[in-house]
Amino acid sequence: MLAKQTQSRTLHWLGRQLFNRDDPAAFFDPLLEPINPMWIQEYTPARVEQIIQETPDTKTLVLQPSRRWSGFRAGQHVNICVDVGGIRRNRSFSLSSSPILWQEQGRATLTIKRLPGGRVTNWIHDDLQTGTVIGMGEAFGDFQIPEPARPVLFIAGGSGITPVLSQLETMAATNYRAPVTLLYFVRIEDDVIAREKLQALAARYGALTLHIITTHETDTPRYLCDADLGSIPGINARQVYLCGPKGLMDLARELLHQRGIADTDIHSTFFSVPQADPGNEPLGGQVRFSESKLGVGSEGDATLLEIAEAAGLSPRYGCRMGICHQCSCRKTAGTVINRLTGQASGHGEENVQLCISVPKGPVSIDI
Amino acid sequence: MKHMTEAQLSELEQDLNVIREEVIADLGERDAQHIRRMVRLHRMLEVGGRVMMPLGFIPPVFVAATATLGAAKILENMEIGHNVMHGQYDWMNDPSLHSQTYEWDTVCTGDSWRRTHNYEHHTYTNIIGKDRDYGYAVLRLSNDEPWKPWHALQFINYVLLSVFFQWGVGLHELETEKLRRREISWREKLPFLKEFARKGGRQAFKDYVFFPLVTFPVAPIVLAGNVGANLIRNLWSSTVIFCGHFTRDAETFSEEECEGESKGHWYLRQLTGSSNFTGGRWLHILSGHLSYQVEHHVFPDLPAHRYPEISGKVQAVCQKHGIHYNTGSFARQYGTVLKRILRHSLPERLGGGAATTA
Repeated sequence: MLAKQTQSRTLHWLGRQLFNRDDPAAFFDPLLEPINPMWIQEYTPARVEQIIQETPDTKTLVLQPSRRWSGFRAGQHVNICVDVGGIRRNRSFSLSSSPILWQEQGRATLTIKRLPGGRVTNWIHDDLQTGTVIGMGEAFGDFQIPEPARPVLFIAGGSGITPVLSQLETMAATNYRAPVTLLYFVRIEDDVIAREKLQALAARYGALTLHIITTHETDTPRYLCDADLGSIPGINARQVYLCGPKGLMDLARELLHQRGIADTDIHSTFFSVPQADPGNEPLGGQVRFSESKLGVGSEGDATLLEIAEAAGLSPRYGCRMGICHQCSCRKTAGTVINRLTGQASGHGEENVQLCISVPKGPVSIDI
Repeated sequence: MKHMTEAQLSELEQDLNVIREEVIADLGERDAQHIRRMVRLHRMLEVGGRVMMPLGFIPPVFVAATATLGAAKILENMEIGHNVMHGQYDWMNDPSLHSQTYEWDTVCTGDSWRRTHNYEHHTYTNIIGKDRDYGYAVLRLSNDEPWKPWHALQFINYVLLSVFFQWGVGLHELETEKLRRREISWREKLPFLKEFARKGGRQAFKDYVFFPLVTFPVAPIVLAGNVGANLIRNLWSSTVIFCGHFTRDAETFSEEECEGESKGHWYLRQLTGSSNFTGGRWLHILSGHLSYQVEHHVFPDLPAHRYPEISGKVQAVCQKHGIHYNTGSFARQYGTVLKRILRHSLPERLGGGAATTA
């Protein structure tokens, strides 16, 4: 899934015949990995070259992906995969460096905040060492700055600054010729990610106006307000980019609408802290069957298999009691409860047995 | 079958669930390391066997190469393929170890195996008429099946099935007995036959065409070695599998007694319908831990290398409920399998009747 096919078609066909797998090059991974993990073919390997502590709960990983990685454009994301306790976990993060760093030095950075209860971010913060090789996918996402240059406003919150860092570095390096303003909201001063880098950018790139606003340093919270927007010259002519927690994004959108800025001029990137533990949320939820392009709601302890069948789908199944795994398929997001054990799953991409999995909150399934 | 009340069955279910949950709560690094080590060993054996094979004109190298490739196929089929396809490692979330997409080094397609083995055999274990693995529709192994004259020569069929085991398993889903009885038509089996031809062709191409051709000057030697490796795997896997359900004390069941059964009853059927054999660590690994067939049938999706660890607990549960735990040395268990095949070659009144369970 994170692999990039590079061999010719004939070789690939032959490999499939000989090794019974769709990614035949990965057949030799178990032999190559102990020699040099950068030779892995199953996914694009990326070595952790350096780990920088940005704030008490945010780290930047400087990665050196294998040269077969296709690179990225500023503002894009990647999936990474890591093995935590024997389990492969996939997560998406924004690339925080400029593509120029990749082109010149073969490096890219991810800036990752520790999420309370998050299995992967806590592992990255506590256990990941420099020199480790992790898996990386191809970059995706279209949170991209306008070409040719037009005035831009970024509104970022917390770790939502990461794709914006990539954008600003690229704009500074290419001397993007239009006014650029960043409104960066953090809770307290200590939460500012990459402060020096931002200040250095503002110093050397004259088009950039930087406002760092703390929301919780005073007794009454100081959120984004209309005056913030009013102080930006030519606000109505700007392309606006939002990236941050849902509360900030909703508020910004509402204030921008009030100023008559159209939705076509507002761009946002997905950034929502996934719920690591859905806690006491009741069973049931919105289930999205992505390949069938179908969404249905469910209540109570209906299993995914029952929900799919009630929705008119006919996924493969066998024993309907959790033994035979005929119905196992990929969950791409959301939490499910195992009906046999009562255990909650993780919220990332993983395999689930439809016949014994009950959704808890919104869930996406690859059927 | 031993009679147990629903209350007793429910207690049995709970006792076994406790064992299962303990293992599930403990799954992690150790299990991942085990299967990855097995996969790495398989790659070494396969690459080693293939590289040595062209040097097979030196007799000891021929023996070593054939044995190495045979061992690679056994390890891949038994400890890796069979167990991965049961979903034993699905929790690892590793796409190359995922039950529903894994494809193994044998003629039977993964999809066909998942239907006939994981679903049919593991759900309807040893129910005469529903579990088509019971005798593979070729052998009469219980007096519940009426005797026909051709059963007299079934030992020959058994030997043929073992020699060509991968092709027999590959064709299992064709359901020839139903085609003979005209319950299903050839047309219905066309999609299956296509898949069978694709995978069977792929396997034959690899071992009998491609590798002999790329080593052209020594093609006959490589061909012979590859045939030998497949034969070793066929004989071994057939033998292991026969020891799992066809030993003397392994029980069979009727459709009536299993209708609408509880999970506890299903557990009881798995415990009494399966049989183990004892041996050293490598015998267990090369049998894919099917030497712990009882534990495997009770917990088909727990990583198989855990079976030796929980065997004591399963035995204790059996003892508590007065259920016979069927185990013995490999030689003894296999001896009772051969006796069962021979005894049921004859009609019940001519010796078949002496069967202890049937």
